[in-house]
Amino acid sequence: MIEKRKIVGIVSGKGGVGKTSLTASIANLTKNDIDIRSIVLDCDVDAPNLALILPANSTDHIETIETFTTLKATFDKEKCTHCKECIDGHFCEFHALKWNNSYEIPEVDYLLCEGCGACKVLCPEHAFVINKVKSGEIIHYKSNIGIPVVYGKTRIGSTTSGKLVSDVKEFTTEIESFEDSDLILIDGPPGIGCPVIATISGLDYIIAVTEPTPSGLHDLIRVIEVVEQFKIPFGIVINKYDLKSPFQDQFQSFIEETGYEVLGRIPYDLAIPEAMSYAKTVVEHAPQSKASLAIKEIYKNLKDLLWNNIAY
Amino acid sequence: MEKIPKIICVTGGKGGTGKTLVAVNLATMFKNEGKKVLLIDGDVENPNTFLLLSGKLENKKNVPFFKPKIIEKKCTKCGLCAENCAPHALLHIKDTYPIPILAMCSGCRLCYKICPTGAIEEDYKIVGWTYFTRVDGISLLLGELKPTEARSASIVEVLLEEVGKIIENEPEKYDYIILDTAPGAHCDVELLIDKADKVIPVTEPTIFGKLDLLRIIELIGLLDKDFRVIINRSSLSGYKDQFLREMEELNIIILGDIPLDDDIVISYCQGKPLMDENSEFKGGVGYHSFQKIFENLKQWLKSKG
Repeated sequence: MIEKRKIVGIVSGKGGVGKTSLTASIANLTKNDIDIRSIVLDCDVDAPNLALILPANSTDHIETIETFTTLKATFDKEKCTHCKECIDGHFCEFHALKWNNSYEIPEVDYLLCEGCGACKVLCPEHAFVINKVKSGEIIHYKSNIGIPVVYGKTRIGSTTSGKLVSDVKEFTTEIESFEDSDLILIDGPPGIGCPVIATISGLDYIIAVTEPTPSGLHDLIRVIEVVEQFKIPFGIVINKYDLKSPFQDQFQSFIEETGYEVLGRIPYDLAIPEAMSYAKTVVEHAPQSKASLAIKEIYKNLKDLLWNNIAY
Repeated sequence: MEKIPKIICVTGGKGGTGKTLVAVNLATMFKNEGKKVLLIDGDVENPNTFLLLSGKLENKKNVPFFKPKIIEKKCTKCGLCAENCAPHALLHIKDTYPIPILAMCSGCRLCYKICPTGAIEEDYKIVGWTYFTRVDGISLLLGELKPTEARSASIVEVLLEEVGKIIENEPEKYDYIILDTAPGAHCDVELLIDKADKVIPVTEPTIFGKLDLLRIIELIGLLDKDFRVIINRSSLSGYKDQFLREMEELNIIILGDIPLDDDIVISYCQGKPLMDENSEFKGGVGYHSFQKIFENLKQWLKSKG
């Protein structure tokens, strides 16, 4: 029995370094671990891909909740007195209000509108209304390996990735399996901005995935700066660690000098894309491949770090 | 009359598909032909173009972002500002001065505009920087979000203001402007695609690549832009046949493909563009694939529609 639930996020700064493959593989390893009941989240709401390698059983019920957290202004032309104060008085800081010369009314640019409500408050005729519009979906199901999956998907053109990330995390605390869960694994978005900040806030541990290239390292340093601000302990996973790269020496010595906790190193292994083409995780598709063995080691190290060898 | 400069946006949905690799090498190939090129790094969360070019970041400029400053001696503690703040970035407890919570602030300035006693003044914090530099004949404008700040779009907006100024004041200064975007399909990406004449999503022949490509194509469609796709790591075979079949069924035009090639990895890590005039990789499969892409791109730019 594990004593305390831990929430672990997988981030990277740079995209495409293997966050999703690693998250899904670790999830798969928890399947045969009697100590750990896990739930997996995909918070890369702009490009949610986890479900592709942890698909639902077709017979399983998939729950989809539409989220309406995006706010957008709409305009009621009946109330407009054509005073043009909204334009002349610069009501909108986001350039979402434009003057239509033929009708002498303002128009709201839906893509630029942030829903801040400034136009609604400032218009002397109260001709603007703020409405909640569909921002995306939260999808919840039991995967074909029996582990619950929750993920978010933004509606294209709605501008609230960070808010949807928070909604996905919030939603998870209300599902039935949450109460008895030991490990929540969160596949994070690339970058260091709003959705990443929303993903990592309140977490117990962060896995930062990188690769031995200049961009991999540059982006790792930036995401660690954000993680450290939140005072969350973290460990590094080096993917494609044996990449034929003239940057190897510089990369390795940098990592050594920082003294960062290295959770593990995954070799460049075509078993990973191959497993993906079968919609499977590598640990399932090729359990004895070099990559799978490395990921098993990472999982063991992660458990040691999270629970200090308690209970197993 | 041909429009000058032509703006080409390189994007892709999924992270790590090779957006920056393509953007930097397209800029290099235009430059090799004597064209005037401005490369804009709009992946402000993780700008990496300068690493691929071994460029130095110069001419640093701060990007300021509004923050409310409460002038206590003018404030009547009425709470109107907090009441109207949609993102709840002002905390007001009865009979106390409002307290700004900057992480929540959208920068809409409504508090400043509606305060009846003028007790809120405009103040600024730094949310990031822009840099302008020239590397081997390519002009590079790069935006960087300050780590721990969330408002990346405000940096992208500053970059686009620069583009707007160039087009208005000195359209002859550049023949081509190449925009490199962040992964994803969020507002930073949307703002950049919206400015482009042609859009090039870079993808890979995997199920992840396909799903994210379809999402970015949905956004490109919403913005009504002309696009053609580059398939990177095209020698990854597992899913490729199905991938290509689906592209064909959806009438998606492929601009070209880039096979897996050690030359690409090496030049990427050395910080020397593969397509550099003095490239040591001339004749390699990677080099050849970029030449072909460039020819196809020039054909496409000439064509109408």
